[in-house]
Amino acid sequence: MLKRNLMATVAAVAMAAASVIPAHAEITFMYATWLSGLVEPGVANFEKATGETVNAIKLPDQGYDQRVALDLSAGTAADVVLMDSFMVSELASAGYLHPLDELAAGWDQYQYYLKGLIEVGSYDGKVYSLPTDTDVRMLWYNKANFEKAGIAMPWEPKSWADVLDAAQKLKDAGVEYAFQLPAGTKQGEATTMQGFYMALLGADVPEGDRNRLRDRTSGKWIGDSPGIRKTLQLYHDVYVEKSLTAPDLNYATDIGASVREAMANNTIGILASGSWEDACLWDCTGANVPSREERDALVGWTPWPGSGDPGTNATTNISGGWAVGINEKAADKDLAFGLVKAIFDKDNFEAWTIANHRMGVRTDISESPEYTQDAYLAKATALAATTTGRDTVPGYQTVSALIQQATADILDGSSVDDVVKEYHDALVDEFGADAVETYE
Amino acid sequence: MAMKNQINPWLASNVWLLVIAMLPAFLLLAALIYFTAWAFSFSFTDLELVGRKSVNWSWVGFENYVRLWTRKGFLDALWTTVIFTFFSAIVGQSVLGFLLAGALRTTRSNLRSFIEVAIMLGWLLPDIVAAFLWSATTSQTGLINNLIITPLGFKPVNFISEFALPVVTIANIWKGTAWSYLLFSAALDSVSREVVEAAKVDGATPFQRIWLVILPIIRPHIATNMLFITIWTFTYFPLIYALTGGGPGRQSETLAIFMYKQSFGTGKLGYGSAISVAMLLIVGALSLIYLRLLREPK
Repeated sequence: MLKRNLMATVAAVAMAAASVIPAHAEITFMYATWLSGLVEPGVANFEKATGETVNAIKLPDQGYDQRVALDLSAGTAADVVLMDSFMVSELASAGYLHPLDELAAGWDQYQYYLKGLIEVGSYDGKVYSLPTDTDVRMLWYNKANFEKAGIAMPWEPKSWADVLDAAQKLKDAGVEYAFQLPAGTKQGEATTMQGFYMALLGADVPEGDRNRLRDRTSGKWIGDSPGIRKTLQLYHDVYVEKSLTAPDLNYATDIGASVREAMANNTIGILASGSWEDACLWDCTGANVPSREERDALVGWTPWPGSGDPGTNATTNISGGWAVGINEKAADKDLAFGLVKAIFDKDNFEAWTIANHRMGVRTDISESPEYTQDAYLAKATALAATTTGRDTVPGYQTVSALIQQATADILDGSSVDDVVKEYHDALVDEFGADAVETYE
Repeated sequence: MAMKNQINPWLASNVWLLVIAMLPAFLLLAALIYFTAWAFSFSFTDLELVGRKSVNWSWVGFENYVRLWTRKGFLDALWTTVIFTFFSAIVGQSVLGFLLAGALRTTRSNLRSFIEVAIMLGWLLPDIVAAFLWSATTSQTGLINNLIITPLGFKPVNFISEFALPVVTIANIWKGTAWSYLLFSAALDSVSREVVEAAKVDGATPFQRIWLVILPIIRPHIATNMLFITIWTFTYFPLIYALTGGGPGRQSETLAIFMYKQSFGTGKLGYGSAISVAMLLIVGALSLIYLRLLREPK
């Protein structure tokens, strides 16, 4: 009896699995859920205009980077692929992506893309991806909790000490996650960008890349520097020394959902994140976002201050963004680029960019009246004046993962000395001693 | 009777049919060996998931294996895995499964059905659903705090932040006990009533009856159970990853999670392969011990 039931179950599961595997589609596209507001209408327009069928594969945001890397290297990725822009050079260097220069040359809207962002999506002089958006980073804060803790608003911290001081007051007022500083490996790049790099850029004086992960002049990775040590010390202060925040949000089953919930339940004080949170704190796809007034009443934001040490940056910023590229294995590259064009077609792209308060990547959108007259985008764009980018050269993904691990080890109570040594050794393992340097 | 060991003459004359019939088995074996050989070979390389080393990798000898000892991660994860496996599988699932099977053996009531269904539910739930469930249950505003901790006058506890490994251990006991329960139920049914009665007549105490009579009889079942749950738990990934991602820090980082992070987070497939080969060897050694236990004593 059990056996027969088991066989029936196996058969049913096999049939269900078979039905999920799509029938042959003309063109496939893989993307993360947060971009569905842009992708879905674009795909619909493309299907209507061409009569082709698109198999659009929507994937969870968490773990998406790993999925893209794995699918491309295994040769099972879709024809058109959305990816975090830091991965482009790495994937292109392995030959997984198709250069877009020729395809894009015939597209009248290509000229409007910002040169700097095209550069980020390029490798070895060839363009491999088109950007979807860019961003700036800041400290978001929960106004109800600031009121409870008696912190004056608008909040304008001038140094890390100011931030830690505010977080201490929030903790004393009973706020569970007084300063949610992204840490650990589970949220991947968010730890490196929203947390570590934002602090690092203000940790030391901005001379000779002393406050970066890579020395852009020598092309070497920085294995040890006062800036890296100070940044790790900040993590130590927040998570160990002062226990300003419980670490579990960084390890939640669905981190994005848990952060949104914590903000809604007023258990977060300060959240280190980025400009997308203006929509994503409620719903990343842009649906169900409350009115401007309601949002402003709930949360505010302030630029990340530098450490406050003499000569350091007053505020810091680093910009990332995502990009769309074409799989080198795509059967019909012209058709694939046709889909890219449909998704990024001005009307569709502009509507999504403005509705979701994403930072524009094209002048025909960022210079449009709707964009320039938007108060939030204007304020966020002002932050972009002094922004910088990631070290988007091959190897960055590994370095970024090692940085995430370093923050995790700090959470575990390891000393800054031990963590730096481990980080330095891992860099040497990966790139060789010649490619790693140290700042005194 | 003689026919039983002879091959059907029609089949025997169709060699090609036999070959074709064996093909699926060969393919399956080939696939199993291929993947193991792949991992074994690439554990001696610096192959990476993306970037140049994903195409132009090179042989690095035993470097990856040396790093298992010299770099932080593997030994910590091994220890975490041993603790996790010991407490969640060997102590938790096995002992709890045995006690439940023993206690419910003589019960033939609705209570038994109810408890059986309850145990099975945990087993049947997908890991990700179970992770969400435990995540919600152990959160600051979750069931345990609201039902137990706060009413007793204590401050609510953030379980994942403070007791990550115990939480995943208990979650895995909850999830996996059904298997041990089913296996031990069947095993206990095979112990004949007469033997136990005879021991009782001879004056054996209840403890002696279990320890000296029942346990030796079901010893092969215990070893089989241990073999299965040790292998599963040692390499178990989804529930822990979804529940804590190995964190906070490395507190619940088992070998399976460490391997995943090295292979697909950092992108070092060569190092990840070395970790998986090491896991294979450890699990293989444990299996040999259990298989030895399976043999009847002389």
